[in-house]
Amino acid sequence: MQHSKRYWAVKSHTMSWLIILPSVVLFGFFMWAPLLESIRMSFSEVRGAEYVRFLWFDNYISVFNDPDFGFAMRNNLMYAFWSLVLGFVIPIIMAMLIGEAARGRSFLRTAAYFPNIMPGLAAIMLWQFFFTASKNGVLNSIVSAFGGEPKEWLTPELVIPVIIVIMTWKGAGATMLIYMAGLAGINPELYEAATIDGAGVLRRIRHITLPALFNLANTLLILQVIAVFQIMYEPMVLGRGVPEDSISLMQLVWKYAFQSSGFENGKAAAVSVLISVLLIVFTLLYRKLSTRSNDWS
Amino acid sequence: MSNKLERTGVIREFDVKTPRVKAGIAFIYLACAVIVVISLYPLVWAFLSGFKTYTEFMTTGAFLPENFDLAQYVTTWKELKFTKNYLNSLWSVAGSVVCALVFNGVLAYGLSILKPKGYKLVLALVMISLLIPATTSLVPLFFNITRIGLVIPTFSEFFWPLWLATGAMPFFVVLFKQFFDDFPKSIIEASRIDGCGSLQVFYRIVMPMSKPICVVVAIYAINGAWSDFLLPYLILRGSPWETVMVQLFTYQQASHVNEIVILRAVVFAVIPPILLFLAFQKQLTQNLVSSGIKG
Repeated sequence: MQHSKRYWAVKSHTMSWLIILPSVVLFGFFMWAPLLESIRMSFSEVRGAEYVRFLWFDNYISVFNDPDFGFAMRNNLMYAFWSLVLGFVIPIIMAMLIGEAARGRSFLRTAAYFPNIMPGLAAIMLWQFFFTASKNGVLNSIVSAFGGEPKEWLTPELVIPVIIVIMTWKGAGATMLIYMAGLAGINPELYEAATIDGAGVLRRIRHITLPALFNLANTLLILQVIAVFQIMYEPMVLGRGVPEDSISLMQLVWKYAFQSSGFENGKAAAVSVLISVLLIVFTLLYRKLSTRSNDWS
Repeated sequence: MSNKLERTGVIREFDVKTPRVKAGIAFIYLACAVIVVISLYPLVWAFLSGFKTYTEFMTTGAFLPENFDLAQYVTTWKELKFTKNYLNSLWSVAGSVVCALVFNGVLAYGLSILKPKGYKLVLALVMISLLIPATTSLVPLFFNITRIGLVIPTFSEFFWPLWLATGAMPFFVVLFKQFFDDFPKSIIEASRIDGCGSLQVFYRIVMPMSKPICVVVAIYAINGAWSDFLLPYLILRGSPWETVMVQLFTYQQASHVNEIVILRAVVFAVIPPILLFLAFQKQLTQNLVSSGIKG
C-alpha cells in the first residue's frame, strides 16, 4: 500500500462531496439563494433584472404607506383567524368520528382524504361554481330546492370565510390522517383502566384522548398558520378584485412583482421578508408560550 | 367476511349496551356519512354537469344531465386543445420525477450513508428550508432564473427551471433520509468490498432496494408537478409549453371562455390525479400516517 490511511479518508470525503455537489448546488439556487436575495432586494432599487442602487428602508416605507398593505395585513389575520376556527378543529373532529366507526373505516378514511389530491387551482375553480351568486349557482339551487331565496355568497364579509371553507375541504383529510395516527398510538389499556375507575365516554375523551393529541395539535397549528399566511391564488380566483375584501400579503407580493407597471420588485421582496419575519416571530413566541403552559398543567 | 368488529376508539365493546351509547354510535355513523357526502359531492357534481349543454347548465339546477352525451366533453377537449396541454404537463411531470428521485435521493444518500466531513451543515440547511415558507422566495427565484437566462438562454426556457426545482425539495430529502437511515449497513460494506464505488453503491444497491420510498416520492412529485402553477405560469406563459394548470388559470382570467367549458376543463385537470390516487391510495394514505407518527 503506497498511500496512508489519511489519504484514503480524504479521498473518500472528497468523492462523497463531489457526488452530492449537484444536489447541493440545486438547493443553493432554488432554496437558499432566493432567501438571501429576498433580503438584499428589499433594500435595493431593482429595474428589470438589474440592481440599481442600495436604498435603505425606502421599499419598506413605501409598502407601509400603501393602503393595500394595511388591507392585506388585516385580511391575512382574518384568514388565519378563520383557518383556526374551522381548519384546525374540523380535522380533529373528523379523526375522532372516523376512528369510532368500526365498520368501513378504511373507506371513510379514503373518502375524506380524496379532496386532497385535487390540484389547488382546480379545487378553487370548482368551488367557484358552488358560490356563484346567480340562481344556477349550486348552493343557490340547493337553497331554492328547500324554498329559500338565492343569495349572494361572495360578499365582502363572507369571502374570507368562504375561501377558508374551501381550503379546509381540500386539506382536512390529510391533517385528519395524521390525527388518526396519533389516536392509534393511544394505549388501549388507558381507556380500560379509566372505565374501571368509572369514567364515561365523554370523560375518557376529555382526560385521555384530547391530552394525547395535544402535542400533535400544537405542531399542526404552527404549520397551519404558516401555510395560511402564504395564501395567494385562492383570493386571486375568488376575490372580486377589490383589495379591501380579500387581498392577501402574498397576493400583494404578486401584484408588486408581476402586475405593476413600474419596477416594484423591491417592494415585493420587502413584503416577502415581512411575512417571513412575522412567521418566525410567531413560531418562536408560540413555542415559548405553549411550553410554558405545558409546565403549569 | 367475518362479522367481528373491533372497536379501537374511545367507545369499547363493553360500552355498547346502554341505549345512550347506541344512539351515540348511530350519530357517529350519520356524521361520517355527512363527511363522505361533502368530500365527494363537488367532484361528482362536476363530472355530471360536464355532460350538460350550455343552455341546460345555465337554466336548470338539476343534478343529473338530460342525457349523458360524451360529445360535450369531446368538443371542449378539442376546442381547448387538451391533447397538447396534457402532453405538455406530461413532459413537465416526467422530468420532475426524474429530478426528484435523482437529486434528492443522492443528497439523502450523502447525508444518511456517506456522511462526508461537514455534512451536518448541509443537513441543518435542508432542515431549515423545510420550515421556511416556499412561496415567499418566488420573486427572487424568478428574478434569478431570468438573470441566468440572460447568460444561458436554455436555462430559463422550456421546463428546465421547473424540472431542476423539483431536484431541491427538502421534504423529499427527509423522506429518503428517514428510509436510508434504517438501511442495513452490512449490505453497503459488502458491496464496497466487492469493489463498488460510492456512486455505484447508490444506483446499484441503495436505490433498487428502496423502491417503496421511491414510489412515494414519485407520486408526490407527479402530483406536485401536475398541480403546480405559480412558477410554471411565470416561466411558461405565452410559450408553446403551457401546462394544464397554466391554461386553466388563463381560461379563468379570460372572458371569452364560458362557464361550462371551464367546468369541463377543471374535470380534465383532475382526472389524472384521481387515477393516480386510485392506483396508489394505500401508499399515499399510509405513508402520510407513518411520517406523521415519526414527526
